[in-house]
Amino acid sequence: MSNSDHDHDHDHDHPHKPMVDEITDFEVLEIALRELCIEKGLFTADEHRVFTEYAEQIGPTPAARLVAKAWLDPEFKKLAQTDAIAASKAVGVDWLDPTGFGAPSDFVAFKILEDTPTLHHVIVCALCSCYPRPILGNSPEWYRTPNYRRRIVRWPRQVLSEFGLQLSEGVEVRVEDSNQKHRFMVMPMRPSGTEGWTEDQLAEIITRDCLIGVALPKPGVTNNVTPLVRPAIRGVTA
Amino acid sequence: MVTAAERAEQIALVSRLKTFYPEVAEWPTPDEITHDHWLAYMKTPHDVGGELDYPHPYENKEEEEWELMTYVLCEVLAWRGIWVSEERRRIGNVDVGRSIYLGVPYYSRWLWSVGRILIEKKYIDWAELTDRLAEVKKRYPGALNGRRPEAQPKFAGDGSAVKRNKHHIRAVGVGDPQVFAGTAGKAKFKLGDRVRVRDLPAMFYTRTPEYVRGAEGVIAELAYESPAPEDETWDREDAKSEWFYIVRFRQSDLWDNYTGPNNDTLQTELPERWLEAINV
Repeated sequence: MSNSDHDHDHDHDHPHKPMVDEITDFEVLEIALRELCIEKGLFTADEHRVFTEYAEQIGPTPAARLVAKAWLDPEFKKLAQTDAIAASKAVGVDWLDPTGFGAPSDFVAFKILEDTPTLHHVIVCALCSCYPRPILGNSPEWYRTPNYRRRIVRWPRQVLSEFGLQLSEGVEVRVEDSNQKHRFMVMPMRPSGTEGWTEDQLAEIITRDCLIGVALPKPGVTNNVTPLVRPAIRGVTA
Repeated sequence: MVTAAERAEQIALVSRLKTFYPEVAEWPTPDEITHDHWLAYMKTPHDVGGELDYPHPYENKEEEEWELMTYVLCEVLAWRGIWVSEERRRIGNVDVGRSIYLGVPYYSRWLWSVGRILIEKKYIDWAELTDRLAEVKKRYPGALNGRRPEAQPKFAGDGSAVKRNKHHIRAVGVGDPQVFAGTAGKAKFKLGDRVRVRDLPAMFYTRTPEYVRGAEGVIAELAYESPAPEDETWDREDAKSEWFYIVRFRQSDLWDNYTGPNNDTLQTELPERWLEAINV
């Protein structure tokens, strides 16, 4: 209902609820701070643009590609295990980008955790939201929540089962709490039913959730576990 | 423009925030506070691992434009040597206190940390920020009707005399933590050593979670050399480097009544200062 309809119902001077479409407190604060930084010469508008372009192009595609390559090429798999930073270059990710010393919050220390028939990894940052952004993009909202962080370190099997992943007693569950400068990603096992598949076909089933360790790759499954998406008020424009 | 009624309503809202133990009054006298309560208040609020909680639905979220811009703002400030990311983590995740930590959106704390650092390090003053907030708000009266708010800096400042850290120059072409390689001396522990996490009374900042304090584990990897976050967070460029280790714990050692199989494990990374040898 429009504002005038609303007024019609209430002729006392009760304060109106702010309209959803007004500029938010967060937008005001971000704009004010950015303007002051540029005016003070802390950084230039150009530098801000360069980093924005970097931030807009990161996503899980290179990470999936890296794992698919490792599944197909034992030599590359060895490189992924011993020097994940070098292996990232093969899928177009230079961890020194875009500053020459990396994305500052992500550092240049990356490890790939290989699952085996008796070992399953899952990652978390129980202290904040450390995540291998340069190769996996921004973390999903649930990964950052206190809820996931509180529980995965203590009740990993229960949390994994909430994602639909039941692991048998014979599989060691190893939680990797990435709370310092290392960033981690899981290399799941190649599932059966993918014999003869190309790198492209394999990459499609290596979802972001598989690389976090809350799901396993499965032929025919190309989506992340939860379909729930909370819409933005004024989202990032593509 | 704020009315007395609106002021009263906002104060009533703040007063509903519950931040103290129900069994103890607000502003307790020293004899009313136990050691455990003191530790609980002093605990860094970002350290949530193992806290009791019930299953929530796992949700994705579309990113707001201001959230992306906030991430970029923080990273560009680090790129240009105004801070290192560890300063941001303390200010936005710990210094905010528990009610803000749990009460406001994730990226709004990143944003809060930018305002705090700029004022604290004297790049801007309180009035500059406050006036600018009012000014930006005034540019967009009423509904936006599809318009997108935009930053409109009045001019581009001269950055040549701006005080910056050495790190943003030294690490270029090398990376962090690579820039600290060879600066920590000999590592105290080696692969396979059994260690115990020291139970230190950590105040103000740490990244050693409470759930491993006092627990025994095994060195799974010598990770790298770096100043500890307990120093980096205070912008101490003179801080000495130390070795970091990935330590492996058995879940059944970490948690009382761990219900999973005996061989489930957890690994986390810890700086040398937090570890002591276990003499077998």
